[in-house]
Amino acid sequence: MYRAILFQQWRWTRLVVVLGTLAAFAVPLFSLRGAAAVMDHGTAAGFLGDLQSWGIAYPTLAGALGVLMAVTLWAPDHRGRHVYALALPVPRWRYVTLRYLAGLTLLAAPAAGLALGAFLASATVSLPPGLHPYPLALSCRFALAVLVAFTLFFSISAGTARTAGVILGLAATLVVAQILLSAAGTDADILMPVLNGVLSPPGPFAVFTGRWMLVDV
Amino acid sequence: MFEKLDPRSPTPLYAQIAERLRTAIVTRELTPAEALPSVRQLAATLRVNPATVVQAYRELEAEGFVEMRQGMGTYVREVSPGQRGAERERQATELVRRMLADAARLGLSVRDVTAAFERELGEQVR
Amino acid sequence: MSEYAVEIDHLTYRVKRAFTLEDLCLRIPAGSIYGFLGPNGSGKTTTIRLVLGLLRPAAGAISVLGHAIPAEAPRALKRIGYVPEAPHLDPTLSVSEAIWFHSRFYPSWDAAWAERLREAFELDPVRPFGRLSKGQKGKLMMLLALAQRPDLLVLDEPTDGLDPVVRRDMLGALLDYVAQHEATVFISSHLIHELERICDWVGVMDGGRLVADVGMERFKTGMKRLRVAHGPHDTAALPFRVLTRSPDNGSGTESWLVRDWAPEMASALAAAGGDLQQVIDLDLEEGFVELLRSFRGPAREPAHV
Repeated sequence: MYRAILFQQWRWTRLVVVLGTLAAFAVPLFSLRGAAAVMDHGTAAGFLGDLQSWGIAYPTLAGALGVLMAVTLWAPDHRGRHVYALALPVPRWRYVTLRYLAGLTLLAAPAAGLALGAFLASATVSLPPGLHPYPLALSCRFALAVLVAFTLFFSISAGTARTAGVILGLAATLVVAQILLSAAGTDADILMPVLNGVLSPPGPFAVFTGRWMLVDV
Repeated sequence: MFEKLDPRSPTPLYAQIAERLRTAIVTRELTPAEALPSVRQLAATLRVNPATVVQAYRELEAEGFVEMRQGMGTYVREVSPGQRGAERERQATELVRRMLADAARLGLSVRDVTAAFERELGEQVR
Repeated sequence: MSEYAVEIDHLTYRVKRAFTLEDLCLRIPAGSIYGFLGPNGSGKTTTIRLVLGLLRPAAGAISVLGHAIPAEAPRALKRIGYVPEAPHLDPTLSVSEAIWFHSRFYPSWDAAWAERLREAFELDPVRPFGRLSKGQKGKLMMLLALAQRPDLLVLDEPTDGLDPVVRRDMLGALLDYVAQHEATVFISSHLIHELERICDWVGVMDGGRLVADVGMERFKTGMKRLRVAHGPHDTAALPFRVLTRSPDNGSGTESWLVRDWAPEMASALAAAGGDLQQVIDLDLEEGFVELLRSFRGPAREPAHV
């Protein structure tokens, strides 16, 4: 049963998986090569600076993979209004779990791609003195970010379109409320505490924030 | 063989099937010891409920035209001259009954019908 | 084993703004072929979805093959072959992939028979589902439902809108299976002439209510149009049920639409003073149409079901 769902899911998401794996493999290589090129004319600080500008690519890619995998996975069910899935002789919770595991299995490819690219880049590019590569740390962090993004959007998409709408609506309400409060001239801040709670450790999205550096001091 | 099966007719389907088979057996279209199609085959071919086929076969068995052998199928039995004669008589009666009913519906008298009957017979002889 | 494959008790479900299924009671005998008739929007598909556990009832109990629905739906669904109104398979899967996909979910799957059916239905194994014609899709859905070797087949308008050759193939395969397996069939359709051939029970839905639930023969032979002269005003005491009565133009007789008629009842009518002039047979389609019309006509005697 798992194989059948995995196969079907591969069919739906193979473009995302293949392109994502290629991108994940390429980013560490390009970022290091680019920084190394800069290095020829500059200092270690310039090297790091250039590398840091690439940093944004990692959380973006992780987030995109998570979102796209979750959405393409659930889109057919939503389109058919769940009739097909519900007509299968599988309890709903088991069906959802199988889909989740299949999604994770497929996302292992880009995570592995990134690890491969990071290790390859670290091995082949000569670094300025005093800097060390952290391919393992970067790979683990990327994998975790993908996991978090996928889990979040999977949970939203697994519910009905109504539930998804409710959650997104809540988020939008917070933003709008904040805007209105600021416009009214008050110092009330509801958005920042929420964002802080979520983005800084031990919040779930802490993994996305901060610097993503393949090479550091 | 069963082209004229009419689910809309007031005659139940099993009776129509039995009728057709009975005629085939009496006219030796189906020979003794020959196997009738299996219930499954006939139901699928005619697109009727298998229970309908079973009912038809059972009726023919009760009348002595076929023999249903458990697990093997349904086979045609030898038809005695007496049976054949009785069947012919029954069919002729049915034919006449239907014709008279139609005639009544059309408002024709018995004399109209017999006159037409004799005319046609005369034509056929020629 | 219960004698009923499906038991619905006092089922209630609200379809927003359309109609309400209220207090629906229906029993499908095991091993029978039960035909489900009704105009569009009468609640047939909703009832089917409730029976399969795809919808949750507001009140009432459903039991399918001994399992409570929707509590034990997945277990029951393992033994139910379902052909939905609109084929909803993944359009990217090919025919053979779709067959393989389904085989993984049903322990009773017969792969050899699935292959024989695929050949008999002339389905190209590598063709994606989305590129099949309407008839081919229908045949594939029937194949998937049958290859499972189910104890109950639930078919929601499986052949409606398909050409006669496809219909013949599909029904032939269905009846072939039923003949060897003793499965129960619950089939809804607008093709009344097809149902007439194969069903031994018939249920008629109208506006969310089950207005008839009888044996096929009884329904067909019991519905008659009578031409009556001097018909009594009060028909409640008669052994058959009068659905509608209307005067024939200018001939002094009335045309009665009746239910549950038997030839012996002519004497009862005569005893009440009526003069029975003609009994007109109605086939299933005419009977069904007249039955429904009898509920709608305002100028007629209120219909009692």
